[in-house]
Amino acid sequence: MKTKSVQNKWTWLLVVFAAVALLAFGSTRDSGPRTQADRIDAITKVLACPTCSGESVYVSRASGAEAIRAEVARQIAGGQRSDDEIIAYIEARFGSRVLLVPRSTGLDSLIWVLPVFVLICAVGTLGFAFRRWKVVGSDSISDEDAQLVERALREER
Amino acid sequence: MFFASGINGALGRAFLLIGIIGSLFGAIAAITSARQRDQAVAKLIPRFAVLVFAASFGAFAVMERAMITRDFSLEYVQKVGSVSTPAIYNFAAVWSALEGSILMWVLILAGYTLGVTYWLRKKMDDVLSRYALGVMFIVSLFFFMLSFGPANPFAAGPAGVFDGPGPNPLLQNHLLVMFHPPLLYLGYVGMTVPFAFAIAALITGRLGEGWLLATRRWTLFAWGFLTIGIVLGSWWSYEVLGWSGVWAWDPVENASLLPWITATAYIHSVLVQERRGMLRVWNLSLLVATFSLTILGTFLTRSGVVNSVHAFSQSAIGPWLLAFFAVIVVVSVGLIGWRGDRLHSPGSIDSPLSREGAFLANNVLFAVFAFVVLLGTVFPLVVEALQSRTIVVGEPFFDRLTIPIGITMLTIMAIAPVLPWRKASQELLSKRLFWPAWCGVLALAGSVWVGATGLAPLLTFGLGGFAAGSALRQVVLATRRQGLRGLVGRANGGMIVHLGVIIIAVALAASNSFTHSQELNLEVGKVASFSGHTFELVDVVEVKTERATAVKALVKIDGGKAYAPAITKYVLQGMNVGTPSVKTGLAYDIYLTLEPPVRQDENKARIKVFIKPLLLWLWIGGGLMALGTVLAAFPGRRRRNPTSPTSEDDFAADLLVML
Repeated sequence: MKTKSVQNKWTWLLVVFAAVALLAFGSTRDSGPRTQADRIDAITKVLACPTCSGESVYVSRASGAEAIRAEVARQIAGGQRSDDEIIAYIEARFGSRVLLVPRSTGLDSLIWVLPVFVLICAVGTLGFAFRRWKVVGSDSISDEDAQLVERALREER
Repeated sequence: MFFASGINGALGRAFLLIGIIGSLFGAIAAITSARQRDQAVAKLIPRFAVLVFAASFGAFAVMERAMITRDFSLEYVQKVGSVSTPAIYNFAAVWSALEGSILMWVLILAGYTLGVTYWLRKKMDDVLSRYALGVMFIVSLFFFMLSFGPANPFAAGPAGVFDGPGPNPLLQNHLLVMFHPPLLYLGYVGMTVPFAFAIAALITGRLGEGWLLATRRWTLFAWGFLTIGIVLGSWWSYEVLGWSGVWAWDPVENASLLPWITATAYIHSVLVQERRGMLRVWNLSLLVATFSLTILGTFLTRSGVVNSVHAFSQSAIGPWLLAFFAVIVVVSVGLIGWRGDRLHSPGSIDSPLSREGAFLANNVLFAVFAFVVLLGTVFPLVVEALQSRTIVVGEPFFDRLTIPIGITMLTIMAIAPVLPWRKASQELLSKRLFWPAWCGVLALAGSVWVGATGLAPLLTFGLGGFAAGSALRQVVLATRRQGLRGLVGRANGGMIVHLGVIIIAVALAASNSFTHSQELNLEVGKVASFSGHTFELVDVVEVKTERATAVKALVKIDGGKAYAPAITKYVLQGMNVGTPSVKTGLAYDIYLTLEPPVRQDENKARIKVFIKPLLLWLWIGGGLMALGTVLAAFPGRRRRNPTSPTSEDDFAADLLVML
């Protein structure tokens, strides 16, 4: 088959290079200063409304969520604390049930560990299956097998 | 009044009882005729199917009658009915709480049973058909009993009640309540059909045969309904309920997503079995998982063990559903173990870089995806049981874990459609992936150009372009060969579905990553601006009706049309429901909500403005998925071409098997 020159190795390298360069440029460039509203949104998205079921403070209109949002806004306006410090402060004030992200210590860490474990098991099983199929499924006989058969036949005689 | 009420309650119970008896005898007839090959008994099966459907229809109609005539002698009508509910929401009120939705489940299941019976009318001699119907009848029996016993919608309520609160306010402020729950149920309950055939195949031991080919279309339609139901639910959440998002990873949402994930995995991996005769155990397991997840999901969300914003009603059906779930799992696993010898498939997969290899990789990802969603949903229960403390697992957890899974899926979607069966050579890949890869680079360059940042969104846009290129390549090649027929059949329809999925992925990435919002304190006569748009409060009006008081803020965007975000206070329930107002655009939506507290007298309003990029494309993608599903359900060109054994020559045929 004659391969057209546009699809050769060099143009593929160009594709890869362009993709990597664009990704590197796009993901590292500064997207401009974060406004206070952006910070409030980011923080309230990881806080749970204390009185509703599973909604974030960002989404909820309940009065409990309003109170937390107001507190977050006050802290940000104060300008003293970083986002993580504000989250820690809110947790200390309202209790750990306002955290929407499970912790990575103790029993709670299982929720992070188990998916990775399952993924490794699944990929491992698949890899194992492919190896087995490779052994079983090759249509042509390998030299090793041929020798085995020959040896067995010789012994038979 | 008294007589009428007596009639509704008694009639409804009678219909349910007939349903129980019909399902029981239907199951007995189906199974005995299958075991003893008795033709005479087999002839009875269709009659029982008709009887069961008639009973479920009768029970549902009686419930509607009770609701429409406001028969407050029934406890259920007292709970969700009210004199002031408008007719259409009153009609939908039947499925607005647990008992009524189980009744709807019964109706849809009986409808599927009847449909399958009709579809099998010429294959009734086949033992497998009878067993499959037997399973359908047994499942029907369970749900009839559920409705007759613990979830009884016809129970008499306390006397002397002449009005009720009406349905939950969230379920009476948009027409979508007429469509979203029934469509979702059509998908959910439809998964019973392939499950029934899987069990029948296990019982008869005829696992290598075409039963799964035969049920493919049933699975596809159930899957399509589930897809549309989920998309409509997102639309409802966004446009109507003012949750400002489209998906919140709420337990009920997860419960609808779980069977969707396993069914999607099945729709792909069944092609490997069709083509190569492999993965039988896996495919059966996926069908069993899909069906049992519908039951488990219903248990989790309707028994009160998991808190949810959707938990409109809870009751004592928990133990029943859990027991049924256990029976399904034990029976299915037992049967798979018993038939283990026949499930060993011949053949092997030569190379990971082949179509079957890609399907396997896809299935691994879908399995992990399902596991993550299930784990996130039940994990709070585990922690509470073990350490008696409450934790919340919310959006950030799911986002963190599902975004990498989604990006990997996009990668597979980019490569898999061009892969041949058996083995792909490097030249072939280089040739077929060339233009799709450039599509990806272009998409990436375009998104960097318009200012997108962040690794995950950029990967999504780039890989989305790549995958769209691969999908389009197939569609273009097929239509070039076959004209318009190149759009139908599972391969080409499947590629249309892929395009829909890609559009949704891109829209989700854009709207989740680049939404920004601002609260504006508006005053009449003053113009505020945000993100290049001006917002002017024209008026704050109060609309009072018998059942609700709505406060609307009329806001002109850029001096044009006035939008009216509102908060409605439902008098009977004492509940505030926000209604957003959305200026929709191809590039971005401007989403307005009215924030509490609402001060009507001062001509002031606190408005929150969200700018949400590409959000409209979610619904376009959803529509494309539905269209693709319909196209995929039509039979394509005959795919077997015995004279061309290699996949390189068999390219058109390959196209048709792709989904």
